[in-house]
Amino acid sequence: MEAPSIPIGESRGAQLARRFCQLAPSFSRPRAVHADMLLRFGGDAVLVRIREGRVASAQAPATPLPSCDFSIRASEEAWSRFWQAVPAAGWHDLFALAKRRELVIEGNLQPLMAHLQFIKDLLAVGREARA
Amino acid sequence: MMAALEPIVGRYVSFEVGGRSCRVYFEEAGEGIPLVCLHTAGADGRQYRHMMCDEEITSRYRVIAFDMPWHGKSYPPEGWEDEEYRLSTETYVETILAFCDALALERPALIGCSIGGRIVLQLAHLHGARFRALIGVEAADFQEPWYDTAWLHRGDVHGGEVCAALVSGLVAPQSPAVHRHETLWQYMQGGPGVFRGDLYFYRVDGDLRGRLDGIRCDECPLYLLTGEYDFSCAPEDTQRTAAGIPGARLTIMRELGHFPMSENPRQFRRYLLPVLDDIARR
Repeated sequence: MEAPSIPIGESRGAQLARRFCQLAPSFSRPRAVHADMLLRFGGDAVLVRIREGRVASAQAPATPLPSCDFSIRASEEAWSRFWQAVPAAGWHDLFALAKRRELVIEGNLQPLMAHLQFIKDLLAVGREARA
Repeated sequence: MMAALEPIVGRYVSFEVGGRSCRVYFEEAGEGIPLVCLHTAGADGRQYRHMMCDEEITSRYRVIAFDMPWHGKSYPPEGWEDEEYRLSTETYVETILAFCDALALERPALIGCSIGGRIVLQLAHLHGARFRALIGVEAADFQEPWYDTAWLHRGDVHGGEVCAALVSGLVAPQSPAVHRHETLWQYMQGGPGVFRGDLYFYRVDGDLRGRLDGIRCDECPLYLLTGEYDFSCAPEDTQRTAAGIPGARLTIMRELGHFPMSENPRQFRRYLLPVLDDIARR
């Protein structure tokens, strides 16, 4: 996978958000998943629209106060560690992060739980390739 | 050409638990010291298939893994359709002892993982004299909950899929994909509400903090093995538990999660074989 170029002065959160937006559109599973998910990488937000098991769009919200089914937010540090090729113990899963209070899930959890492995796999697209 | 037959043999045995007859499926392989194996919550005895095909183990141990009633190929007891399954500490202990009695096992060694590890502590506390040795894998007297178990059994979420997806994060990232997905498949196959019913023991009825006095590790050795990637029964949970049990032998296992014997058998045997060597020497 080619490393995306990093604009000068871009915050760590913006870099992580851009990495996700670049990689997420290639993610799909043969499954009827429909959900709007708001991600926050530190202070940088990404609204992910999932339709028919595909990422229809992943981009910074066009307006303030974006509506969504559920949101997942974590610090830049937490996402960075989660996306390491082989994450360290305790930083390797959404719920491991949530248990250590490094990640927060809010909103209506039904679409998340109904398609949990789909969402887990989608959020791991930012993970670095193993050497 | 010889068929690729494994040495594992499966049979059924019936015995009473709580005054009700249970027809219980078990598999075994090997000869020597009986080693009874307890599966994790919401799973079944298939988790131990690799140990049952490991000649370094089966040359000295008769490895026996049974499916708890409601799990795997063991049906629930008659009348199950009118009740909600909830595993209690008392029922769990009674089931294990009844199984050992039904097979006339004399002072077997026993290994249990997750809820099986928790009940190992209770067996050490109340029935240590009945066992040659006890091995608690991913065992602790208590663990902090990390999700609402109501999600495990609802009309609008597939129970098997959500059980598997929740526990998928408990498998270490280093575990081979084939073993990871085989482990998760068992969770996808569990009966409705069974994983949640097992977790009733884990989260509500089986809090053993401050209740494990009098364990005699000099009479029945207690080994505790916990994977570093297990954030459900985290290493610090087992360390705290071990600190309260004089003589307990603790090992934190690298590159393993909550299902060591199933998710990465090759890595697990590095930690298990020295324990089995130790038990066989006694």
